[in-house]
Amino acid sequence: MKNNRIGLILVVSSLAVIALVMSLLLKRQHTEQAEQVRVQGLGTVRSLAALPAAVLLPPPGQPGVLASLLAGRDNPDFAYAAISAEDGRNLAEVASPGAIVPPAAPLALASFDERGVAAGQNARAIREFRGPLASADARLQLRIGYFVPQGPLDLKDLPFYALIALAVFLLVPLIYIVIKREMAPLAALGEQLKAVSKNQAQPVLELSSGQDVRGLAGKLNHYLDHTSARIRELEQDSIASMASGRLLEYGSNKMQAVLQCLPDGLLVLDPAGEVTFATGKIEPLLGVPVAEVLSQPVEGWCRDPELRAMLARFRGGGLDARSQMTIEFNPLGVPGKRLWATAQALTGHAMSYGTLVVLRDATREHLARQAGNDFVAHVAHELKSPLNVIGMYGEMLADAGIDDPALRVEAINVIQDEVERMTSLVNNLLNVSKLEMGSMRPERHRVKLDDLLRDAWQQARSRAEAKNIRLELQVARDLAAVSIDKDMFRIALNNLLNNAIKYNAAGGSVVLAAEEGDSDVVIAVRDSGIGMTAEDRERVTEKFFRVRETGDEQRGGHGLGLYLSNQIVELHHGRLTIESELGHGSVFSIHLKKMPALAEGGQVL
Amino acid sequence: MKKAILLVDDEPHVIRVLRLMLEREGYDVATANDGNEALGKMAARRPDVMVSDIQMAGMDGRELCRTVRARYPDEAFPIFVMTSMTASEEREWVRELAQVEFLEKPLSPRQLIARLTTYFTTAAAAQETPHA
Repeated sequence: MKNNRIGLILVVSSLAVIALVMSLLLKRQHTEQAEQVRVQGLGTVRSLAALPAAVLLPPPGQPGVLASLLAGRDNPDFAYAAISAEDGRNLAEVASPGAIVPPAAPLALASFDERGVAAGQNARAIREFRGPLASADARLQLRIGYFVPQGPLDLKDLPFYALIALAVFLLVPLIYIVIKREMAPLAALGEQLKAVSKNQAQPVLELSSGQDVRGLAGKLNHYLDHTSARIRELEQDSIASMASGRLLEYGSNKMQAVLQCLPDGLLVLDPAGEVTFATGKIEPLLGVPVAEVLSQPVEGWCRDPELRAMLARFRGGGLDARSQMTIEFNPLGVPGKRLWATAQALTGHAMSYGTLVVLRDATREHLARQAGNDFVAHVAHELKSPLNVIGMYGEMLADAGIDDPALRVEAINVIQDEVERMTSLVNNLLNVSKLEMGSMRPERHRVKLDDLLRDAWQQARSRAEAKNIRLELQVARDLAAVSIDKDMFRIALNNLLNNAIKYNAAGGSVVLAAEEGDSDVVIAVRDSGIGMTAEDRERVTEKFFRVRETGDEQRGGHGLGLYLSNQIVELHHGRLTIESELGHGSVFSIHLKKMPALAEGGQVL
Repeated sequence: MKKAILLVDDEPHVIRVLRLMLEREGYDVATANDGNEALGKMAARRPDVMVSDIQMAGMDGRELCRTVRARYPDEAFPIFVMTSMTASEEREWVRELAQVEFLEKPLSPRQLIARLTTYFTTAAAAQETPHA
């Protein structure tokens, strides 16, 4: 469309150029012709005027100069030549065919001049040149007329003009083609810009048809400005998004670290039941390398049927999204371990992401539970044994005691002993419970140790004598006072003494001694009993720990006495040390800080 | 002839009471402190009934039962086992042993005497029947 219009403009303008050139050429030719006629006319008039009149005016019937002038005329526009008198009468005249000699006009001055004769009815316009003739008698004038050239076009010049017109006409398309070729990249650029601007969110550049290069350049500049602004914007966006990406990455890494550092093992399964995430804790818990867990199907790495069954239940999201399931099992890959596995459907934003499985090491809990169960069974047994004996003696008293007083005394003694044994066990149990609940707080007072030790010794003597064990007391009377809870301390002391008597052989000895050091008081219970191994010595203060029974006399221990003693001593900021040799006896020593001298005057209980 | 009872327990009070009560009922009572001592006594003479505790130092009641049944396969005298556990918990280890019964602790001597009486009367009746 645009090209067509340009083409039209080019054709019109080329025609205009042709017309202009032609008219200029014609005008020039006209002027030239007129000048030529003038020169010729004036020249001929001047040369003829110089001739004597006689020559010019020959006698009638004879050819004169004028006739030869007509005959020898070289200009096709020659119209006539005449010699006129003052009254206007033509003395001689010649005329080319078709030309009429106009009447003469008087000369204004006796000089050469020229005049135009307008075209008449049947005559063409004529240019007349005149001049005076040198004659004595009459004032004659010589006139020569030429036709004013008629048509603007000279037919003989037509091919020349046509050639020029053709050349111009051919030149215009050539120029057009050249320009078009030169414009082609710009046009392409324009198209491109149009396409680019079409792709943009906000059309900043509207390319209208009929655009010139300057407008295009202006728009291009505008577009470039806009583009660079846009690029800056994008760069800023990119920096911002990079920063937020880094932030996200940091957050993600942190979350990963948090998950990896959890004491529990985590598994995330996709809805199809394949593991997509596993923490490093899986390996020590299940005994399966993490790489294997992540690369193999569940059936490939999971050897535990319980876990496999649970994972299968959660596959495909068949269960309700809120459902949670916990199993407890012993992993086949790690002997002796006990695990809790909790599976929980991962849901949120109305989507299901699969399943989260948390594996927790429950070995300690399991062992504690087992120990608790064992303890309950043990305590039940320990309580049942004296009950058994009491029950039996009761029945025996009822059946045979009526007629046997000795039997009655024996039964009463045994029943009292057994009740005491049960009471001790129950008390220790209660004390341990109080100790562990933290409700046992020592109420410390200034205590004179020798009295306390003498009391404990007195109480233990009957038990020692029953087993034929010598119980000695080696305590100085002026022993330093200590700050202790008397009742709690008595429990610790009694337990030590009971053990020393229990784990002893008939004829053996137990020594309760107290010695004063520089800063502390050491109470020692030395026995000549069975002693223990180094391993047992390490563990003997553990709760429920019992040295393997070696004889019937050592029955009745419940694994609480030494535990309790140790705890009580520690509550008093003291230390319980144990020296022992298997088969040669043990020494249990309580180390207590002495009361500061300043407090010496305080209340003594 | 007096029926011979072997008491095996490491609790002297239990031995003392049971011996007294059983002797009053006219049984011939032998006692042992643990499994080994019981096996020693049995080498000389097998009892008509053995009454044993389970938890004992040295050879315990379970091992004693297994050894007795293995050593004297043809003499299936009853063994009464005293346990503070429930009978169901002890079923497992006596499954392959013949004639082992449980006595639950706390044990009543009267109950033991009743069980023994029942056993000996049934055994006597069973012995008389083929003769009759």
